[in-house]
Amino acid sequence: MSSRRSSRGNISEDEINELISKLQSLLPASSRRRGSGQASTTKLLKETCSYIKSLHREVDDLSDRLSDLMSTMDHNSPGAEIIRSILRS
Amino acid sequence: MAAKRTAPPPPPPTPNPIPNRRALASGAGSASPSKRMLAFHFLRALSRISSATPVACRTRTIRRAAYFSMARAASPRRSWSRALLRQVRVRRAVRSRRAVLMRRRVVSAAPAPPLGVRSISAGQITSAPLAGAPPPRQAGEPARADALRRLVPGGGEMEYCSLLEETADYVRCLRAQVQLMQGLVDLFSGQ
Repeated sequence: MSSRRSSRGNISEDEINELISKLQSLLPASSRRRGSGQASTTKLLKETCSYIKSLHREVDDLSDRLSDLMSTMDHNSPGAEIIRSILRS
Repeated sequence: MAAKRTAPPPPPPTPNPIPNRRALASGAGSASPSKRMLAFHFLRALSRISSATPVACRTRTIRRAAYFSMARAASPRRSWSRALLRQVRVRRAVRSRRAVLMRRRVVSAAPAPPLGVRSISAGQITSAPLAGAPPPRQAGEPARADALRRLVPGGGEMEYCSLLEETADYVRCLRAQVQLMQGLVDLFSGQ
């Protein structure tokens, strides 16, 4: 991936565009627009920021639910058995 | 006669009523952060939690365990994973130091200010607002990149090019982590 890393200070436009398009492909499909061949960089960065923030929020929310669930977890349920087998392997 | 046989293929996974096991087992190697490693680290941290911590701060502990296992599972070549691990280490040192300070100051209700503590690790501040020099601004770098730098751990010191790469990897890893946790929640709530 870093095979075409040019020398310091002279990063070509093409590399940046390539990286940006890679980033664009990662974002959820709702933000991708077929019409514009090159979405504005600023807009892309803004969407990436909001996507990362929403992922953070999801992690927080999921960890909250996990903590609730763990308190009422039944240690002999098949779910716990699966997890124990994963940890053992 | 040259019926050369390589190692016999692994037995197919036993059909499980719970789909998450299949997802966990078959997800190995599909994404750049190996899903199996992610699951392993996170589950190990979770099992350690359930015995020790009080209920009050469990959410925070789980969240920290999530980011920590994410950083562990990712390749250490990635600077964001190293920055995350550094952050955890700093926070642990901070907490122990703060505990000592609080024990000494019995009378005055003045906990160590977080800013004063953060300045100890000067230059290693990752997601906190930068106290030192602003990051080097490259030609053509849009103003939005600053916000991105603040979001991605370790982003404050990177060049613009590496920032984009790290962001892509970070997003991929975050997504895998969210999927893993969602699967766990479904698994547990389906009991």
